[in-house]
Amino acid sequence: MQNSRIGFAARTNFLIKFLIKALGAIAAIALLVVLTEPKARAVPSYSRQTGLSCATCHFAPPELTPFGRKFKLDGYTFATKPTVKDAAKDHKSGLELLEAFPLSVLFDTSFTATQKPQPGTQNGNLEFPQAASLFLAGSWGSHVGSFLQVTYDSQGDHFTWDNTDIRYADNSRHLFGKPVTYGITLNNNPTVEDLWNSTPAWGFPFVSNNVAPTPSAAALVNGSLAQDVAGLGGYGMWNDHLYLAATIYRTEHIGGPQPNPGTGFPFNIRGVAPYWRAAWQASTENNNLEVGTYGMHMKSSPNAIMGLTDGYTDWAFDFQYDRTIPQFKNDVLSIRGTYIRENSALEATFDGGGASQSRHHLNTVQGNAEYHFGTRISGTVGFFDITGTADPLLFARGTAITGSANGSPASSGYIFNLSWWPQQNINLSYQYTGYLRFNGASTNYDGAGRNAAANNSNYLLARFVF
Amino acid sequence: MQRIFWRLALAGTFICLVIPALPSRAQAQNDAVKAYAANCAICHSANGSGDASAGKALKAKDLRSPEVQKISDADISDVITKGKGQMPAFGSKLSADTIKSMVAYVRKLPKK
Repeated sequence: MQNSRIGFAARTNFLIKFLIKALGAIAAIALLVVLTEPKARAVPSYSRQTGLSCATCHFAPPELTPFGRKFKLDGYTFATKPTVKDAAKDHKSGLELLEAFPLSVLFDTSFTATQKPQPGTQNGNLEFPQAASLFLAGSWGSHVGSFLQVTYDSQGDHFTWDNTDIRYADNSRHLFGKPVTYGITLNNNPTVEDLWNSTPAWGFPFVSNNVAPTPSAAALVNGSLAQDVAGLGGYGMWNDHLYLAATIYRTEHIGGPQPNPGTGFPFNIRGVAPYWRAAWQASTENNNLEVGTYGMHMKSSPNAIMGLTDGYTDWAFDFQYDRTIPQFKNDVLSIRGTYIRENSALEATFDGGGASQSRHHLNTVQGNAEYHFGTRISGTVGFFDITGTADPLLFARGTAITGSANGSPASSGYIFNLSWWPQQNINLSYQYTGYLRFNGASTNYDGAGRNAAANNSNYLLARFVF
Repeated sequence: MQRIFWRLALAGTFICLVIPALPSRAQAQNDAVKAYAANCAICHSANGSGDASAGKALKAKDLRSPEVQKISDADISDVITKGKGQMPAFGSKLSADTIKSMVAYVRKLPKK
């Protein structure tokens, strides 16, 4: 016991020293950045294309302002900079090409420490980089544009395809005497096409570590299919109020063989998986409110492309409220939330011995409130709660750290995030994630003596986008 | 359930095919309308009011208002070319002729 106490004290001292050094390094970098502020603003390709600052489209990236939502709705095509043009007439097709190639770069470096180390691994991990991304983000023509991201993953030591949304949009139509913008989207992540930050792809937390353990259970529409599907869909905004979108997805395993044999992949969509979205927004000069619903249905064969299927249906509701406060120099208060109900019939998994029963459900609740001090600092407090059907086979017993001793998917906790933008394209963040319950319990959740709080994490991030 | 989803998918496809057939002011009118839709409507709305959410947030001017309509053609042209306040400059993208036609289009917007 004495040795273990000494060991723990030593580890804690080491961790504190490491944290102090990391904080010092980041502070030094920040100071250097502030002191050597470049004359030209280093801004990503949308900014170069529009001639507008990042803050015109973002309260804080990736949170969209009303203008940012409209820019995305219009297919990322709005531009004020020179284009190569040729008018379409007679049998001749037209051309409108940005003179500047819409390329951007993102570089993330981070430090993560959990309250207790994961057995057999070091605690206090510096990732340099955590990730680096290339974006092809901008107008491809008068009606076509993209948000296309390729990311280097330091843990896999390779580049891989990341969030992608290529869209066609037309904002010149009218329906029932009111303006309507409609478009077509080709994307690889359900909700990546969405305009609000209350849905999963662009929801809080906006940055996260890839070191600390995370709960085992996640609803399908809550990121489980991200970059593992390809979808074609349509969307429309009527009268700046009613937004409707629908996309059908097929499996597209990045890095997997073609044609897809299904083996080695937990989800192989049978037929197509429809995704739907409906939202209503209302706005005044200083208030923006959105309430909506979204969801998805999927039949999938785990590790196969034929045979029995698992069926999932996700129904979700969300809201977002942004309040600009003129009395406080136009600071912005944002409040967002979502509830996802997943019903599943896991016939294939049950038949294969991976579940002790077929019928399951999973409830996910997420909410957060954020205060933006201008465009320099934002503080966010969020919570999450996951509950659902306990299943000792589906949520495996006997696996240290990632397992669940009681087979329950229940997890809950809170996230505190503080972000500072010394420039609009440089983000320094601190994030603390605390768990009240992890994979079914608050103490000894994995049956190997680990408590939920052991996975609490401190995360420091420096992000540069240019 | 599966039938409902297929019906939804069919309805979505139908909407996507029908909407492009809706009357397009851009097709019916001239290049100024196209230029307005592509460059101005994002903030000032299709009808010039600026009352859509993006315009409200950026406090875009109501182009139909007496305040804007009393400004001379040369000054409106100057604002489009060089930008003003939060409005970006379009001088490097749009030709002088297009800007001139857009000024004329702003004059034709229904008065408030």
